Amino acid sequence: MSEMNANQLIDHFFRTEYGKAVSHLTNRFGSENLELAEDAVQDTLIKAMQTWPFGQVPDNPTGWILRVASNRMIDQLRRLQKQTNEEIPELSEDLVEDVSLTDINDDMVRMMFACCHPTLSAEYQIILTLKILGGLSIREISTSLLKKEETIAKAYTRAKKKFKDDEIKLILPPANEVENRLEMVLKIVYLLFNEGYKTAEGKTLIREDLCAEAMRLNAVLLETELCSTPSAYALMALMCFHSSRFGARVDEHGEIISLEDQDRTKWSNELILTGQRYLQQATDTDAVKDYVIQAAISSYHCNAASFEETRWDEILRLYDVQLQINPSPVIRLNRVVPMEKVHGSMLAYSEIEELEETGFFDTYYLFYAIKGGILQNLGGLQESTIALKKAISLTKNERELTYLNKKLTELSS
Amino acid sequence: MKQYLYVFRGGRAAYQDQSPEEMQAHMERWGSWMQKISAIGHPLQEEGKVVAKAGEVVTDGPFTEGKEVVGGYVAISAEDIDQAVEMSKECPIFEYEGTVEVREIIEM
Repeated sequence: MSEMNANQLIDHFFRTEYGKAVSHLTNRFGSENLELAEDAVQDTLIKAMQTWPFGQVPDNPTGWILRVASNRMIDQLRRLQKQTNEEIPELSEDLVEDVSLTDINDDMVRMMFACCHPTLSAEYQIILTLKILGGLSIREISTSLLKKEETIAKAYTRAKKKFKDDEIKLILPPANEVENRLEMVLKIVYLLFNEGYKTAEGKTLIREDLCAEAMRLNAVLLETELCSTPSAYALMALMCFHSSRFGARVDEHGEIISLEDQDRTKWSNELILTGQRYLQQATDTDAVKDYVIQAAISSYHCNAASFEETRWDEILRLYDVQLQINPSPVIRLNRVVPMEKVHGSMLAYSEIEELEETGFFDTYYLFYAIKGGILQNLGGLQESTIALKKAISLTKNERELTYLNKKLTELSS
Repeated sequence: MKQYLYVFRGGRAAYQDQSPEEMQAHMERWGSWMQKISAIGHPLQEEGKVVAKAGEVVTDGPFTEGKEVVGGYVAISAEDIDQAVEMSKECPIFEYEGTVEVREIIEM
């Protein structure tokens, strides 16, 4: 027994162990037994919860959980074997002793590829990833995704059925598919992060747990050579840069503070430096990837002494590159901000007018908020007010509303 | 000081729906509470045997209702039964509708 008491485990220990153990057992006993693996791990954690407080935490708590869950699973499989007379391979109980952390990490990477399998919808991919790898309960998933518990429960059942029906295996994609498949995994990782970070609807602006979970999964990917790509490093850097602003993004009343007005001394230097290191690794090769550009842009923001001193010219240049590889209206909209800084409000406004004609942003509040800002700089108070009011009518998020209303009040005073 | 025994019953039924995060938090409260009251004892396996008539009848069991199942026991020191009861009030078992039976251990 270790010297550690049950109340001295690291934060989220059970949650992270859940993902490890379910991935390991599913990899070992086949993806058709995913549900059994989940039950075995759940029961094991219950047992740990009931017994560890009476004494001390086992020396190797991860090993303990894996061993107990594995034995439980073997018991269950033997019971089923008797009922169906089916042969189940390798039911040796001592296998678990040989499992290394690298093996477990590989199990998790395989599970990530399986959860983000191309035959599953993005919704299923997210829910499976959060439940199986993230160790979140249905209730926690519904809270973090702002959906009804019942909706998530149903979706999870369907997702698992699809997982089973499609006979999705825990295998790594073949070399020629790795890049595409990894892009899907990274997309889900970033979606998770954004779910935690985004400002759409709901009272809590930053659901940091989801962000932390996304970063943990990305770190798992980076542990393997196969997935240590420029994109994976860059996404990690990008999430570090975004997270560095957690402490400065809302005020004591929970109201949003824009990038311009944030107290930059509240940004986390540690996360910015960590992000820089990841970005460095992403740019070691010359690969021009979307995440690399996004991370580089974010890096310029993080390293600027003030909003005005930001290297807008460099940022604009990066947006130009990004537009070349991905000509999307959203990127064009984001580009308007540095464009105004570098080339002035007139040019920025003509870009806004062009974008408005596409009709793409008809219901996007941020477009009208940006438009309002540019109009204000051009001295068009009345037009600016109209744009801001339009932005207000398009958002449901309480904090966004408070922020936009404050802007509106400033305009009329 | 006298010795008292706490017998923990029930509380298990609700565990199945708990998330790993909730379980860890619950466990941590147990750990802190046990430390605070210097409890010494053991958890019990759920399954066992009930022996009757000097072994003539041995049944699997106890198979009582969930809320009756004894999950574990600890011994603690207290001035009197009132204090022993008072000390039990912070037990995390109450979060899941379990009970604590408090009994004085007779010194021999």
